[in-house]
Amino acid sequence: MSSYRRFPWLFILPSLVGFFAFNAGPILISLVLSFTQWDVFDPLNLGAVVDSWVGLENYREMARDPVLHKAFWNTLYYVLVAVPLEIFISLMVALGLNRDFPGVKIVRTLYLLPTVTSVVAVGLLWRWVLNPYVGPVNLFLRWSGQQLEAFFGFFGLDAPGVVHWLATQGPGWLSDERWAMPGIILAAVWAGIGFRMLIFLAGLQNIDKTYYEAASLDGAGPWQQFWNVTLPLLSPTVFLNTLLALIGGFQVFGLIYVMTGGGPLDATNVLLFYLYQKAFGIFPPDMGYASAIAWLLFAFLFALTVVQWQLRKRWVWEEA
Amino acid sequence: MSKRKQRIADAVIFVVLLLGGLTMLVPFLWMISTSFKEPGSLFDLPIQLWPEKLHWENYQRVLTAVPFARWYFNSLVLALGLTFLNLTSGALAGYAFARFSWRGKDVMFLFSLITLMIPAHVLIIPLFIIMSRLGWIDTYYALILPGLFDAFAIFLMRQNFISLPRELEEAALIDGATPWQIYWKIALPLAAPALATLGTFTFLGGWNAFLWPLIATNSIEMRPLTVGLAVFNTQFTTEWTVLMAGLSLATIPPIIVFLAAQKYFIRGLTLGSLKG
Repeated sequence: MSSYRRFPWLFILPSLVGFFAFNAGPILISLVLSFTQWDVFDPLNLGAVVDSWVGLENYREMARDPVLHKAFWNTLYYVLVAVPLEIFISLMVALGLNRDFPGVKIVRTLYLLPTVTSVVAVGLLWRWVLNPYVGPVNLFLRWSGQQLEAFFGFFGLDAPGVVHWLATQGPGWLSDERWAMPGIILAAVWAGIGFRMLIFLAGLQNIDKTYYEAASLDGAGPWQQFWNVTLPLLSPTVFLNTLLALIGGFQVFGLIYVMTGGGPLDATNVLLFYLYQKAFGIFPPDMGYASAIAWLLFAFLFALTVVQWQLRKRWVWEEA
Repeated sequence: MSKRKQRIADAVIFVVLLLGGLTMLVPFLWMISTSFKEPGSLFDLPIQLWPEKLHWENYQRVLTAVPFARWYFNSLVLALGLTFLNLTSGALAGYAFARFSWRGKDVMFLFSLITLMIPAHVLIIPLFIIMSRLGWIDTYYALILPGLFDAFAIFLMRQNFISLPRELEEAALIDGATPWQIYWKIALPLAAPALATLGTFTFLGGWNAFLWPLIATNSIEMRPLTVGLAVFNTQFTTEWTVLMAGLSLATIPPIIVFLAAQKYFIRGLTLGSLKG
Protein backbone atom coordinates (compact mmCIF):
# COMPACT_ATOMS: atom_id res chain seq x y z
CA MET A 1 0.00 0.00 0.00
CA SER A 2 1.30 3.39 -0.85
CA SER A 3 1.43 5.39 2.34
CA TYR A 4 -0.12 8.81 2.55
CA ARG A 5 2.45 11.21 1.18
CA ARG A 6 1.89 14.37 3.09
CA PHE A 7 2.71 15.56 6.53
CA PRO A 8 0.06 14.21 8.91
CA TRP A 9 -0.34 17.35 11.01
CA LEU A 10 -3.33 16.15 12.91
CA PHE A 11 -1.57 12.98 13.98
CA ILE A 12 1.82 14.40 14.81
CA LEU A 13 0.89 17.75 16.32
CA PRO A 14 0.22 16.74 19.96
CA SER A 15 3.49 14.85 20.22
CA LEU A 16 5.37 17.58 18.40
CA VAL A 17 4.16 20.24 20.82
CA GLY A 18 5.02 18.01 23.75
CA PHE A 19 8.43 17.27 22.27
CA PHE A 20 9.43 20.91 21.91
CA ALA A 21 7.73 22.29 25.02
CA PHE A 22 8.49 19.54 27.51
CA ASN A 23 11.52 17.67 26.17
CA ALA A 24 13.80 19.31 23.63
CA GLY A 25 13.21 22.80 25.01
CA PRO A 26 13.90 21.85 28.64
CA ILE A 27 17.02 19.90 27.67
CA LEU A 28 18.39 23.00 25.98
CA ILE A 29 17.44 25.25 28.91
CA SER A 30 19.04 22.85 31.35
CA LEU A 31 22.29 22.80 29.41
CA VAL A 32 22.40 26.60 29.22
CA LEU A 33 21.52 27.02 32.91
CA SER A 34 24.42 24.82 33.92
CA PHE A 35 26.77 27.56 32.68
CA THR A 36 25.02 30.33 34.63
CA GLN A 37 24.16 31.42 38.12
CA TRP A 38 20.67 32.27 36.94
CA ASP A 39 18.28 33.17 39.74
CA VAL A 40 14.67 31.96 39.78
CA PHE A 41 13.52 35.58 39.98
CA ASP A 42 15.45 36.57 36.86
CA PRO A 43 13.51 36.69 33.62
CA LEU A 44 13.94 33.71 31.35
CA ASN A 45 15.55 35.41 28.37
CA LEU A 46 18.84 35.85 26.60
CA GLY A 47 19.77 39.00 28.52
CA ALA A 48 19.39 37.35 31.91
CA VAL A 49 21.37 34.36 30.70
CA VAL A 50 24.21 36.56 29.48
CA ASP A 51 24.17 38.52 32.75
CA SER A 52 24.40 35.41 34.89
CA TRP A 53 26.85 33.55 32.65
CA VAL A 54 29.73 32.03 34.62
CA GLY A 55 31.18 29.65 32.06
CA LEU A 56 32.49 26.48 33.60
CA GLU A 57 32.36 27.83 37.16
CA ASN A 58 29.57 25.43 38.27
CA TYR A 59 31.55 22.50 36.97
CA ARG A 60 34.68 23.73 38.72
CA GLU A 61 32.67 24.17 41.91
CA MET A 62 31.69 20.50 41.72
CA ALA A 63 35.36 19.55 41.84
CA ARG A 64 35.67 21.44 45.16
CA ASP A 65 32.35 20.64 46.81
CA PRO A 66 32.89 18.03 49.57
CA VAL A 67 29.16 17.25 49.86
CA LEU A 68 29.03 16.48 46.15
CA HIS A 69 31.98 14.15 46.53
CA LYS A 70 30.27 12.42 49.41
CA ALA A 71 27.08 12.13 47.36
CA PHE A 72 29.08 10.67 44.52
CA TRP A 73 30.70 7.98 46.67
CA ASN A 74 27.38 7.23 48.33
CA THR A 75 25.77 6.77 44.93
CA LEU A 76 28.59 4.44 43.92
CA TYR A 77 28.24 2.51 47.18
CA TYR A 78 24.53 2.12 46.61
CA VAL A 79 24.90 1.07 42.98
CA LEU A 80 27.76 -1.37 43.55
CA VAL A 81 25.96 -3.19 46.34
CA ALA A 82 22.31 -2.97 45.31
CA VAL A 83 22.67 -3.79 41.62
CA PRO A 84 24.66 -7.06 41.92
CA LEU A 85 22.35 -8.21 44.71
CA GLU A 86 19.25 -7.39 42.68
CA ILE A 87 20.57 -9.08 39.56
CA PHE A 88 21.80 -12.20 41.34
CA ILE A 89 18.67 -12.77 43.44
CA SER A 90 16.26 -12.01 40.63
CA LEU A 91 18.12 -14.36 38.28
CA MET A 92 17.91 -17.16 40.83
CA VAL A 93 14.22 -16.50 41.39
CA ALA A 94 13.53 -16.40 37.67
CA LEU A 95 15.35 -19.70 37.13
CA GLY A 96 13.27 -21.23 39.89
CA LEU A 97 10.00 -19.82 38.59
CA ASN A 98 10.68 -20.71 34.96
CA ARG A 99 9.01 -24.08 35.29
CA ASP A 100 5.60 -25.48 35.77
CA PHE A 101 4.42 -26.43 39.18
CA PRO A 102 1.06 -25.90 40.76
CA GLY A 103 0.71 -22.35 42.02
CA VAL A 104 3.70 -20.98 40.09
CA LYS A 105 1.62 -18.03 38.84
CA ILE A 106 0.64 -17.08 42.38
CA VAL A 107 4.25 -17.17 43.53
CA ARG A 108 5.28 -15.01 40.56
CA THR A 109 2.57 -12.53 41.48
CA LEU A 110 3.85 -12.38 45.05
CA TYR A 111 7.26 -11.30 43.80
CA LEU A 112 5.66 -8.58 41.70
CA LEU A 113 3.68 -6.96 44.52
CA PRO A 114 6.45 -4.52 45.53
CA THR A 115 6.97 -3.60 41.87
CA VAL A 116 3.50 -2.10 41.58
CA THR A 117 3.69 -0.39 44.96
CA SER A 118 4.75 3.23 44.93
CA VAL A 119 8.26 3.97 46.05
CA VAL A 120 6.84 6.19 48.78
CA ALA A 121 4.79 3.35 50.22
CA VAL A 122 7.80 1.03 50.01
CA GLY A 123 9.98 3.58 51.78
CA LEU A 124 7.51 4.33 54.57
CA LEU A 125 6.78 0.64 55.00
CA TRP A 126 10.48 -0.13 55.34
CA ARG A 127 11.07 2.69 57.75
CA TRP A 128 8.64 0.84 59.91
CA VAL A 129 10.10 -2.59 59.15
CA LEU A 130 13.58 -1.29 60.05
CA ASN A 131 12.52 0.67 63.12
CA PRO A 132 15.19 -0.21 65.71
CA TYR A 133 12.70 -0.63 68.55
CA VAL A 134 9.41 -1.89 67.19
CA GLY A 135 10.28 -3.00 63.65
CA PRO A 136 10.05 -6.71 62.82
CA VAL A 137 13.66 -6.96 61.59
CA ASN A 138 15.17 -5.88 64.88
CA LEU A 139 12.60 -7.77 66.91
CA PHE A 140 13.76 -10.87 65.11
CA LEU A 141 17.46 -10.03 65.47
CA ARG A 142 17.00 -9.37 69.17
CA TRP A 143 15.15 -12.61 69.64
CA SER A 144 17.90 -14.52 67.77
CA GLY A 145 20.55 -12.82 69.89
CA GLN A 146 18.75 -13.81 73.06
CA GLN A 147 18.49 -17.41 71.91
CA LEU A 148 22.21 -17.43 71.12
CA GLU A 149 23.01 -15.96 74.51
CA ALA A 150 20.94 -18.67 76.16
CA PHE A 151 22.76 -21.22 74.06
CA PHE A 152 26.16 -19.97 75.20
CA GLY A 153 24.91 -19.68 78.74
CA PHE A 154 23.82 -23.32 78.68
CA PHE A 155 27.46 -24.32 78.27
CA GLY A 156 28.53 -21.80 80.89
CA LEU A 157 30.25 -19.61 78.29
CA ASP A 158 30.20 -15.88 77.82
CA ALA A 159 28.53 -14.95 74.55
CA PRO A 160 30.72 -12.93 72.15
CA GLY A 161 30.16 -9.20 72.14
CA VAL A 162 28.34 -9.23 68.83
CA VAL A 163 25.74 -11.63 70.21
CA HIS A 164 25.22 -9.45 73.24
CA TRP A 165 24.90 -6.45 70.92
CA LEU A 166 22.28 -8.28 68.86
CA ALA A 167 20.36 -9.36 71.94
CA THR A 168 20.19 -5.94 73.51
CA GLN A 169 20.47 -3.42 70.71
CA GLY A 170 20.93 -4.52 67.11
CA PRO A 171 21.67 -2.22 64.20
CA GLY A 172 20.30 1.32 64.47
CA TRP A 173 19.48 1.17 60.74
CA LEU A 174 18.33 4.46 59.28
CA SER A 175 19.42 6.63 62.20
CA ASP A 176 22.97 5.24 62.33
CA GLU A 177 25.53 6.53 59.84
CA ARG A 178 26.98 3.09 59.17
CA TRP A 179 23.66 1.30 58.88
CA ALA A 180 21.59 3.85 56.96
CA MET A 181 22.79 2.91 53.48
CA PRO A 182 22.50 -0.84 54.09
CA GLY A 183 18.94 -0.16 55.26
CA ILE A 184 18.11 1.72 52.06
CA ILE A 185 19.70 -1.03 49.98
CA LEU A 186 17.65 -3.67 51.76
CA ALA A 187 14.42 -1.87 50.86
CA ALA A 188 15.60 -1.20 47.30
CA VAL A 189 16.53 -4.82 46.64
CA TRP A 190 13.26 -6.04 48.13
CA ALA A 191 11.32 -3.67 45.90
CA GLY A 192 13.45 -4.21 42.81
CA ILE A 193 13.78 -7.95 42.30
CA GLY A 194 10.25 -8.49 41.00
CA PHE A 195 10.77 -6.33 37.96
CA ARG A 196 14.23 -7.77 37.21
CA MET A 197 12.84 -11.28 37.62
CA LEU A 198 10.12 -10.53 35.11
CA ILE A 199 12.67 -9.48 32.48
CA PHE A 200 14.74 -12.60 33.15
CA LEU A 201 11.63 -14.74 32.85
CA ALA A 202 10.84 -13.20 29.47
CA GLY A 203 14.40 -13.94 28.36
CA LEU A 204 14.28 -17.51 29.66
CA GLN A 205 11.04 -18.19 27.89
CA ASN A 206 12.60 -17.10 24.61
CA ILE A 207 15.20 -19.88 24.78
CA ASP A 208 14.42 -22.65 22.35
CA LYS A 209 13.62 -25.86 24.24
CA THR A 210 15.39 -27.99 21.61
CA TYR A 211 18.76 -26.81 22.94
CA TYR A 212 18.02 -28.49 26.23
CA GLU A 213 16.84 -31.65 24.54
CA ALA A 214 20.06 -31.78 22.53
CA ALA A 215 22.20 -31.09 25.60
CA SER A 216 20.37 -33.73 27.55
CA LEU A 217 20.90 -36.30 24.77
CA ASP A 218 24.60 -35.50 24.93
CA GLY A 219 24.49 -36.36 28.61
CA ALA A 220 24.69 -32.86 30.08
CA GLY A 221 23.40 -32.62 33.65
CA PRO A 222 21.36 -29.67 34.98
CA TRP A 223 24.49 -27.84 36.08
CA GLN A 224 26.19 -28.19 32.69
CA GLN A 225 22.96 -27.21 30.96
CA PHE A 226 22.86 -24.06 33.03
CA TRP A 227 26.46 -23.08 32.24
CA ASN A 228 26.53 -24.12 28.61
CA VAL A 229 23.00 -23.45 27.41
CA THR A 230 21.02 -21.17 29.72
CA LEU A 231 23.68 -18.65 30.66
CA PRO A 232 25.08 -18.01 27.15
CA LEU A 233 21.60 -17.76 25.64
CA LEU A 234 20.42 -15.54 28.46
CA SER A 235 23.47 -13.27 28.35
CA PRO A 236 21.78 -10.58 26.20
CA THR A 237 19.03 -10.36 28.83
CA VAL A 238 21.55 -10.28 31.65
CA PHE A 239 23.32 -7.48 29.85
CA LEU A 240 20.17 -5.45 29.35
CA ASN A 241 18.90 -6.05 32.86
CA THR A 242 22.23 -5.03 34.40
CA LEU A 243 22.37 -1.90 32.30
CA LEU A 244 18.83 -0.91 33.28
CA ALA A 245 19.56 -1.63 36.93
CA LEU A 246 22.71 0.49 36.84
CA ILE A 247 20.92 3.39 35.18
CA GLY A 248 18.08 3.13 37.69
CA GLY A 249 20.51 2.82 40.59
CA PHE A 250 22.34 6.01 39.73
CA GLN A 251 18.98 7.79 39.85
CA VAL A 252 17.79 6.52 43.22
CA PHE A 253 15.73 9.24 44.87
CA GLY A 254 12.33 8.32 46.31
CA LEU A 255 13.57 5.82 48.89
CA ILE A 256 16.21 8.27 50.08
CA TYR A 257 13.70 11.11 50.33
CA VAL A 258 11.24 9.05 52.34
CA MET A 259 13.53 6.90 54.44
CA THR A 260 16.41 9.15 55.51
CA GLY A 261 16.17 12.52 53.76
CA GLY A 262 19.82 12.04 52.82
CA GLY A 263 20.94 11.75 56.43
CA PRO A 264 22.21 11.07 58.96
CA LEU A 265 25.05 13.52 58.28
CA ASP A 266 24.77 13.03 54.51
CA ALA A 267 25.44 9.31 54.92
CA THR A 268 22.76 8.54 52.34
CA ASN A 269 22.92 11.72 50.30
CA VAL A 270 23.13 10.64 46.66
CA LEU A 271 23.61 12.68 43.48
CA LEU A 272 19.96 13.04 42.54
CA PHE A 273 18.97 13.88 46.09
CA TYR A 274 21.70 16.50 46.29
CA LEU A 275 20.47 17.96 43.00
CA TYR A 276 17.00 18.15 44.48
CA GLN A 277 18.31 19.85 47.61
CA LYS A 278 20.22 22.45 45.60
CA ALA A 279 17.31 23.24 43.30
CA PHE A 280 14.30 22.88 45.57
CA GLY A 281 15.46 22.38 49.14
CA ILE A 282 17.42 25.56 49.85
CA PHE A 283 16.64 29.21 49.55
CA PRO A 284 17.59 30.86 47.28
CA PRO A 285 17.73 27.86 44.98
CA ASP A 286 20.89 27.29 42.99
CA MET A 287 19.40 26.25 39.66
CA GLY A 288 22.66 26.64 37.75
CA TYR A 289 24.66 24.39 40.04
CA ALA A 290 21.81 21.87 40.24
CA SER A 291 21.65 21.77 36.43
CA ALA A 292 25.38 21.14 36.31
CA ILE A 293 24.87 18.19 38.67
CA ALA A 294 22.17 16.91 36.34
CA TRP A 295 24.60 16.92 33.43
CA LEU A 296 27.34 15.33 35.49
CA LEU A 297 24.94 12.52 36.32
CA PHE A 298 23.94 12.27 32.68
CA ALA A 299 27.60 12.07 31.69
CA PHE A 300 28.08 9.14 34.08
CA LEU A 301 25.08 7.35 32.69
CA PHE A 302 26.20 7.96 29.14
CA ALA A 303 29.75 6.79 29.82
CA LEU A 304 28.39 3.76 31.64
CA THR A 305 26.20 2.83 28.70
CA VAL A 306 29.06 3.24 26.23
CA VAL A 307 31.46 1.20 28.34
CA GLN A 308 28.90 -1.52 28.88
CA TRP A 309 28.20 -1.58 25.18
CA GLN A 310 31.87 -2.08 24.45
CA LEU A 311 32.22 -4.80 27.07
CA ARG A 312 29.16 -6.43 25.65
CA LYS A 313 31.19 -8.04 22.90
CA ARG A 314 33.32 -9.81 25.48
CA TRP A 315 30.67 -11.64 27.38
CA VAL A 316 27.36 -11.43 25.58
CA TRP A 317 26.76 -14.40 23.37
CA GLU A 318 25.02 -13.47 20.18
CA GLU A 319 23.53 -15.76 17.62
CA ALA A 320 25.51 -15.68 14.41
CA MET B 1 21.05 -37.39 38.64
CA SER B 2 18.53 -39.90 39.89
CA LYS B 3 14.80 -39.24 39.89
CA ARG B 4 14.78 -39.21 43.67
CA LYS B 5 17.54 -36.65 43.92
CA GLN B 6 15.80 -34.56 41.31
CA ARG B 7 12.61 -34.59 43.32
CA ILE B 8 14.38 -33.53 46.50
CA ALA B 9 16.11 -30.70 44.62
CA ASP B 10 12.76 -29.56 43.22
CA ALA B 11 11.23 -29.56 46.68
CA VAL B 12 14.10 -27.50 48.10
CA ILE B 13 13.83 -24.97 45.28
CA PHE B 14 10.10 -24.73 45.79
CA VAL B 15 10.42 -24.09 49.52
CA VAL B 16 13.09 -21.41 48.97
CA LEU B 17 10.97 -19.69 46.34
CA LEU B 18 7.94 -19.78 48.55
CA LEU B 19 9.89 -18.32 51.48
CA GLY B 20 11.11 -15.56 49.16
CA GLY B 21 7.57 -14.94 48.00
CA LEU B 22 6.41 -14.69 51.59
CA THR B 23 9.18 -12.17 52.26
CA MET B 24 7.51 -10.08 49.56
CA LEU B 25 4.08 -10.48 51.11
CA VAL B 26 4.77 -10.25 54.84
CA PRO B 27 5.56 -6.51 55.00
CA PHE B 28 2.18 -5.84 53.37
CA LEU B 29 0.39 -8.10 55.83
CA TRP B 30 2.31 -6.47 58.68
CA MET B 31 1.21 -3.08 57.34
CA ILE B 32 -2.46 -4.10 57.29
CA SER B 33 -2.30 -5.76 60.70
CA THR B 34 -0.58 -2.72 62.23
CA SER B 35 -3.20 -0.42 60.73
CA PHE B 36 -5.83 -2.16 62.87
CA LYS B 37 -3.87 -2.18 66.11
CA GLU B 38 -4.59 -0.01 69.07
CA PRO B 39 -2.56 3.20 68.88
CA GLY B 40 0.34 2.92 71.31
CA SER B 41 0.12 -0.85 71.64
CA LEU B 42 3.13 -1.52 69.43
CA PHE B 43 5.55 -1.86 72.32
CA ASP B 44 3.44 -4.53 74.02
CA LEU B 45 5.02 -7.93 74.31
CA PRO B 46 4.51 -10.56 73.10
CA ILE B 47 3.95 -9.01 69.69
CA GLN B 48 0.47 -9.43 68.38
CA LEU B 49 0.40 -10.81 64.85
CA TRP B 50 -3.20 -9.74 64.46
CA PRO B 51 -5.08 -7.43 66.85
CA GLU B 52 -7.86 -9.00 68.88
CA LYS B 53 -10.10 -6.05 68.21
CA LEU B 54 -10.01 -4.09 64.94
CA HIS B 55 -9.21 -0.45 65.62
CA TRP B 56 -10.84 1.47 62.80
CA GLU B 57 -10.04 4.76 64.48
CA ASN B 58 -6.62 4.69 62.74
CA TYR B 59 -8.46 5.00 59.43
CA GLN B 60 -10.72 7.69 60.79
CA ARG B 61 -7.75 9.64 62.01
CA VAL B 62 -5.79 9.49 58.73
CA LEU B 63 -8.87 10.57 56.80
CA THR B 64 -9.42 13.60 59.01
CA ALA B 65 -5.91 14.69 60.02
CA VAL B 66 -4.79 15.22 56.42
CA PRO B 67 -6.84 15.89 53.24
CA PHE B 68 -6.61 12.25 52.36
CA ALA B 69 -9.69 12.10 50.13
CA ARG B 70 -8.48 15.09 48.16
CA TRP B 71 -5.04 13.50 47.68
CA TYR B 72 -6.76 10.38 46.47
CA PHE B 73 -8.73 12.38 43.97
CA ASN B 74 -5.59 14.18 42.78
CA SER B 75 -3.83 10.89 42.22
CA LEU B 76 -6.79 9.65 40.26
CA VAL B 77 -6.85 12.78 38.08
CA LEU B 78 -3.11 12.53 37.58
CA ALA B 79 -3.10 8.85 36.68
CA LEU B 80 -6.19 8.97 34.46
CA GLY B 81 -5.25 12.25 32.81
CA LEU B 82 -1.77 11.02 32.06
CA THR B 83 -3.14 7.78 30.66
CA PHE B 84 -5.62 9.56 28.43
CA LEU B 85 -3.02 12.01 27.12
CA ASN B 86 -0.42 9.33 26.63
CA LEU B 87 -2.73 6.98 24.75
CA THR B 88 -4.14 9.73 22.56
CA SER B 89 -0.93 11.39 21.48
CA GLY B 90 1.05 8.15 21.42
CA ALA B 91 -1.43 6.29 19.25
CA LEU B 92 -1.82 9.23 16.86
CA ALA B 93 1.91 9.69 16.36
CA GLY B 94 2.51 5.95 16.31
CA TYR B 95 -0.02 5.58 13.53
CA ALA B 96 1.58 8.39 11.55
CA PHE B 97 5.02 6.81 11.85
CA ALA B 98 3.59 3.44 10.84
CA ARG B 99 1.47 4.43 7.86
CA PHE B 100 2.40 7.89 6.57
CA SER B 101 5.57 9.00 4.89
CA TRP B 102 6.82 12.54 4.71
CA ARG B 103 10.10 14.31 4.41
CA GLY B 104 12.03 14.29 7.62
CA LYS B 105 10.09 11.38 9.08
CA ASP B 106 13.20 9.32 9.85
CA VAL B 107 14.92 12.24 11.51
CA MET B 108 11.86 12.89 13.66
CA PHE B 109 11.70 9.28 14.68
CA LEU B 110 15.38 9.26 15.53
CA PHE B 111 15.00 12.35 17.69
CA SER B 112 12.14 10.85 19.62
CA LEU B 113 14.21 7.75 20.27
CA ILE B 114 17.10 9.89 21.49
CA THR B 115 14.86 11.36 24.20
CA LEU B 116 14.59 7.87 25.67
CA MET B 117 18.25 8.22 26.55
CA ILE B 118 17.85 11.50 28.39
CA PRO B 119 17.09 10.69 32.01
CA ALA B 120 14.10 12.45 33.56
CA HIS B 121 16.23 14.23 36.15
CA VAL B 122 17.73 16.45 33.45
CA LEU B 123 14.25 17.72 32.67
CA ILE B 124 12.85 18.51 36.10
CA ILE B 125 14.58 21.83 36.72
CA PRO B 126 13.74 23.44 33.36
CA LEU B 127 10.25 21.92 33.46
CA PHE B 128 9.72 23.49 36.84
CA ILE B 129 10.89 26.85 35.50
CA ILE B 130 8.66 26.61 32.42
CA MET B 131 5.65 25.57 34.46
CA SER B 132 6.12 28.36 36.97
CA ARG B 133 6.45 30.95 34.16
CA LEU B 134 3.20 29.64 32.73
CA GLY B 135 1.64 29.91 36.18
CA TRP B 136 0.86 26.21 36.14
CA ILE B 137 2.78 25.07 39.21
CA ASP B 138 0.33 23.59 41.68
CA THR B 139 -2.24 22.82 38.99
CA TYR B 140 -3.23 19.63 37.21
CA TYR B 141 -1.67 21.04 34.02
CA ALA B 142 1.80 20.83 35.50
CA LEU B 143 1.18 17.30 36.70
CA ILE B 144 -0.24 15.92 33.48
CA LEU B 145 0.93 17.89 30.44
CA PRO B 146 4.56 16.70 30.41
CA GLY B 147 3.07 13.35 29.36
CA LEU B 148 2.01 14.85 26.03
CA PHE B 149 5.12 13.51 24.36
CA ASP B 150 6.24 10.03 25.28
CA ALA B 151 8.71 8.29 23.00
CA PHE B 152 7.97 4.92 24.56
CA ALA B 153 4.25 5.24 23.83
CA ILE B 154 4.92 6.31 20.24
CA PHE B 155 7.35 3.48 19.71
CA LEU B 156 5.03 0.87 21.20
CA MET B 157 2.04 2.03 19.15
CA ARG B 158 4.09 2.28 15.96
CA GLN B 159 5.29 -1.31 16.32
CA ASN B 160 1.73 -2.38 16.94
CA PHE B 161 0.26 -0.58 13.91
CA ILE B 162 3.02 -1.92 11.67
CA SER B 163 2.13 -5.44 12.74
CA LEU B 164 -1.55 -5.01 11.77
CA PRO B 165 -2.59 -6.30 8.31
CA ARG B 166 -2.95 -3.54 5.76
CA GLU B 167 -5.70 -5.10 3.64
CA LEU B 168 -8.60 -3.71 5.65
CA GLU B 169 -7.19 -0.20 5.58
CA GLU B 170 -6.44 -0.45 1.85
CA ALA B 171 -9.98 -1.58 1.11
CA ALA B 172 -11.37 1.33 3.09
CA LEU B 173 -9.09 3.73 1.22
CA ILE B 174 -10.41 2.46 -2.11
CA ASP B 175 -13.95 2.95 -0.81
CA GLY B 176 -13.07 6.59 -0.29
CA ALA B 177 -12.54 6.74 3.47
CA THR B 178 -10.33 9.56 4.77
CA PRO B 179 -7.14 8.77 6.71
CA TRP B 180 -8.82 9.96 9.88
CA GLN B 181 -11.80 7.65 9.38
CA ILE B 182 -9.50 4.73 8.70
CA TYR B 183 -7.53 5.47 11.83
CA TRP B 184 -10.53 5.97 14.06
CA LYS B 185 -12.83 3.26 12.76
CA ILE B 186 -10.42 0.51 11.67
CA ALA B 187 -6.89 0.82 13.00
CA LEU B 188 -7.57 2.04 16.53
CA PRO B 189 -10.10 -0.67 17.45
CA LEU B 190 -7.64 -3.29 16.24
CA ALA B 191 -5.01 -1.76 18.51
CA ALA B 192 -7.12 -2.27 21.64
CA PRO B 193 -4.77 -4.83 23.27
CA ALA B 194 -1.77 -2.55 22.79
CA LEU B 195 -3.75 0.37 24.19
CA ALA B 196 -4.71 -1.72 27.21
CA THR B 197 -1.05 -2.61 27.77
CA LEU B 198 0.10 0.96 27.49
CA GLY B 199 -2.84 2.20 29.55
CA THR B 200 -2.30 -0.13 32.50
CA PHE B 201 1.36 0.67 32.48
CA THR B 202 0.84 4.42 32.34
CA PHE B 203 -1.90 4.40 34.95
CA LEU B 204 0.28 2.63 37.50
CA GLY B 205 3.24 4.81 36.55
CA GLY B 206 1.13 7.92 37.14
CA TRP B 207 -0.32 6.65 40.40
CA ASN B 208 3.16 5.86 41.73
CA ALA B 209 5.03 8.86 40.28
CA PHE B 210 6.96 10.81 42.85
CA LEU B 211 9.78 13.16 41.85
CA TRP B 212 7.92 15.34 39.36
CA PRO B 213 4.66 15.59 41.36
CA LEU B 214 6.75 16.50 44.40
CA ILE B 215 8.20 19.45 42.51
CA ALA B 216 5.15 20.42 40.48
CA THR B 217 2.84 20.90 43.49
CA ASN B 218 3.29 22.84 46.68
CA SER B 219 -0.05 23.39 48.40
CA ILE B 220 -1.40 20.72 50.67
CA GLU B 221 -4.58 20.42 48.59
CA MET B 222 -2.82 19.74 45.29
CA ARG B 223 -0.53 16.94 46.43
CA PRO B 224 -1.11 13.53 44.92
CA LEU B 225 -1.32 10.70 47.41
CA THR B 226 2.30 9.57 47.14
CA VAL B 227 3.63 13.06 47.67
CA GLY B 228 1.15 13.86 50.40
CA LEU B 229 2.13 10.80 52.39
CA ALA B 230 5.83 11.42 51.86
CA VAL B 231 5.69 15.05 52.88
CA PHE B 232 3.26 14.79 55.76
CA ASN B 233 4.34 11.48 57.23
CA THR B 234 6.22 13.49 59.85
CA GLN B 235 2.82 14.30 61.31
CA PHE B 236 2.52 10.64 62.17
CA THR B 237 6.07 9.92 63.31
CA THR B 238 4.90 8.40 66.53
CA GLU B 239 1.57 7.24 65.18
CA TRP B 240 2.66 4.20 63.23
CA THR B 241 -0.80 2.67 63.31
CA VAL B 242 -2.29 5.74 61.62
CA LEU B 243 0.47 5.92 59.01
CA MET B 244 -0.04 2.24 58.21
CA ALA B 245 -3.76 2.86 57.76
CA GLY B 246 -2.92 5.57 55.22
CA LEU B 247 -0.43 3.34 53.47
CA SER B 248 -2.93 0.50 53.27
CA LEU B 249 -5.45 2.80 51.64
CA ALA B 250 -2.78 4.03 49.21
CA THR B 251 -1.36 0.64 48.30
CA ILE B 252 -4.44 -1.47 47.82
CA PRO B 253 -5.88 0.23 44.66
CA PRO B 254 -2.77 -0.16 42.52
CA ILE B 255 -2.45 -3.75 43.64
CA ILE B 256 -6.06 -4.41 42.62
CA VAL B 257 -5.49 -2.74 39.23
CA PHE B 258 -2.36 -4.81 38.83
CA LEU B 259 -4.05 -8.07 39.73
CA ALA B 260 -6.93 -7.33 37.39
CA ALA B 261 -4.73 -6.30 34.46
CA GLN B 262 -1.67 -8.36 35.26
CA LYS B 263 -1.39 -9.78 31.75
CA TYR B 264 -1.28 -6.32 30.16
CA PHE B 265 0.99 -4.87 32.78
CA ILE B 266 3.57 -7.62 32.42
CA ARG B 267 3.49 -7.33 28.65
CA GLY B 268 4.06 -3.58 28.94
CA LEU B 269 6.95 -3.97 31.35
CA THR B 270 8.75 -6.55 29.29
CA LEU B 271 8.10 -4.72 26.02
CA GLY B 272 9.27 -1.50 27.58
CA SER B 273 12.52 -2.96 28.75
CA LEU B 274 13.28 -5.25 25.86
CA LYS B 275 12.51 -2.81 23.11
CA GLY B 276 12.83 0.56 24.75
